[in-house]
Amino acid sequence: MHPRLRGHPTDYARFGALALQRAGHDTPVQAGVRHGDKESTADLEWPSQDPTLLQVLDGNRITEDGAEAVALAYASSSAGWVMKRRLQRSESADWLLHHEERWLALEVSGVATGDPWARLEDKKRQVARCSLAAERLAIVIAFDRPDILADSP
Amino acid sequence: MTKTDSILAGLTEDELDTLVSIAIRRAEILDETQSPGADDAWSEVMVYEERLAALTRPEDIPGGVARVGAVTAALSAGRRSDAARLASRYLSEEAFPPERREAIQRAFQEDQERLARRFPSLAKTGRLAELAAWRANTSIYLHVFPRAA
Repeated sequence: MHPRLRGHPTDYARFGALALQRAGHDTPVQAGVRHGDKESTADLEWPSQDPTLLQVLDGNRITEDGAEAVALAYASSSAGWVMKRRLQRSESADWLLHHEERWLALEVSGVATGDPWARLEDKKRQVARCSLAAERLAIVIAFDRPDILADSP
Repeated sequence: MTKTDSILAGLTEDELDTLVSIAIRRAEILDETQSPGADDAWSEVMVYEERLAALTRPEDIPGGVARVGAVTAALSAGRRSDAARLASRYLSEEAFPPERREAIQRAFQEDQERLARRFPSLAKTGRLAELAAWRANTSIYLHVFPRAA
């Protein structure tokens, strides 16, 4: 997490925690990871949030921003990717990340309930349209399981 | 140099990356809710992107992103004359990659398509260009007509 993003209204860590708590998870929880054809697990731990926030915050925003929190943490911890900046929609990706001399265009989505695989295929198609000279990755967070699904187009 | 310019001039690329990331998300949320504040939010994105473009090289990925971002944010804010001015500046840079040039052309095309969806009658009769002139005339009253075109 970029240190300067902490405390901002778009507080990704808070939204990530709320999305996981809304799905009935307590910290810590073990998430299933499917990255391409590789399977593993990831331990997710977060400072517990006041559940009454769920009654006043927009549910879609909790899912979207919560997914970004988990996805950015996964990209960083699993492969050392560091956030550079957010991208505008016209770039067909949400985030630009870098690691040494490499660049990554990352598209993220979250699913509160239901089948996340169709969403992953959608997001792979979307990030495939990104025209930047960068590697591309789509990540979908399925909060109910919880699962982290990642794949490149 | 305005006060805003002097403040921006003191910011590093890393600080501007943070600010533009926050500003883009805010503008997206305001856009989704069709808030009158969306134009101002996109204008703020444009300012950060323009400053990032000044700090970065056109051939590098961050520089290419910032240049295209400045143009698209200006279009999202309805500031089409600013978008044209910025596009002209960036397209004149020799090292600006072809793919980024296409992204700028695509941004203008998508803006026209968006306008055509919003004003189908004007689009049918080939009068979309009149919107630009009208927008220029009313731009000093943006808080009265914030989302008009």
